[in-house]
Amino acid sequence: MLRALSRSPAPVVRLLSPRTAVWVETVRGRKSRTDPKAKSKLGRIKTPPPVDPVEMVVLKERYTEYNLILRALRLEFKEQMLRKKYEEEVGSVAEERTKREEEEHRSLMALNDAENLRMHKIREQRMQKEAEAEELKKREADILRQQELENYIKEKERQILQLQEEAKDFITLDNLDQRIEEALDNPKNYNFAIDKEGRVVKRTAFQR
Amino acid sequence: NLHYVFVLASFLLKKYHGGHVVIRLALGGATNRPFYRIVAAYNKRARDSKYIEQLGSYDPLPNTQNEKLVAFNYERIKYWIACGAHTTKPVAKLLGLAGFFPLHPMTVTEAERRQKAALTEEVKTDSQQQVEQKEAL
Repeated sequence: MLRALSRSPAPVVRLLSPRTAVWVETVRGRKSRTDPKAKSKLGRIKTPPPVDPVEMVVLKERYTEYNLILRALRLEFKEQMLRKKYEEEVGSVAEERTKREEEEHRSLMALNDAENLRMHKIREQRMQKEAEAEELKKREADILRQQELENYIKEKERQILQLQEEAKDFITLDNLDQRIEEALDNPKNYNFAIDKEGRVVKRTAFQR
Repeated sequence: NLHYVFVLASFLLKKYHGGHVVIRLALGGATNRPFYRIVAAYNKRARDSKYIEQLGSYDPLPNTQNEKLVAFNYERIKYWIACGAHTTKPVAKLLGLAGFFPLHPMTVTEAERRQKAALTEEVKTDSQQQVEQKEAL
């Protein structure tokens, strides 16, 4: 009897294999094979529940009727199911479905085409605007470049003229003696003081 | 139409030899609080184990309005019956009470037995009252 304590079906299943279906031997009751009969049950004679023949006849009739109806129902359902499947796959439902899908497809294609056209127009306009803007920019750039060139040329000419002007005062081999004598004759005095306000003071200390 | 044969898709990797689909009650809930799900499952599977589809539920304990709630998905039940599923006795009884199946014979017989028992009780109490009245007189 003690051995059989762990032999109830449900917990065993849970211990061994939690969710998978392991078919455990049906164990009813708590007694093992070698346990003796209980003292209170020694003289017991098990009898099946008494059957009322009238009721049994009535019951048998009811059962036959019930089974008949059930069988009919089953076949009816089967037929319905077959018909539905047939309709869906081959019959009217399929045709309607294809028609609907075709219509949908056509409408969607139309929408798509309209959208494409619209976008095309918008894109054309945009491209045009961009082209114009680019042309404008190019022209402006050209003008700027032209102006730059002219400015450069002018600058260079100015410099050349200035140089020519200065060239008149240059010391050459011819002027050398003359200029030396001139320089020696006119001594320049750089001895002056200047303060922050810009006042120049040319008077120096008494020179020897 | 007869060449459209139903093939039960193998939902489970286990292939059952000679198994069949059953519509039965799978027990759930807590201690002292049962709750049944009406379920289409293979015959060989454990009672609460993996099922093919849930087709409804049954609450055996009456609620605050003193009603026992049952739910059925008639479309799917029709499909499974058409595919050749068996039903267990309690499911057949419930469906009979719901009107989807004819009334189960045992429901009727049980009701008759209860009525008879109630009648005999009445008769017994009546006769007892009569006896007491006679004794009082």
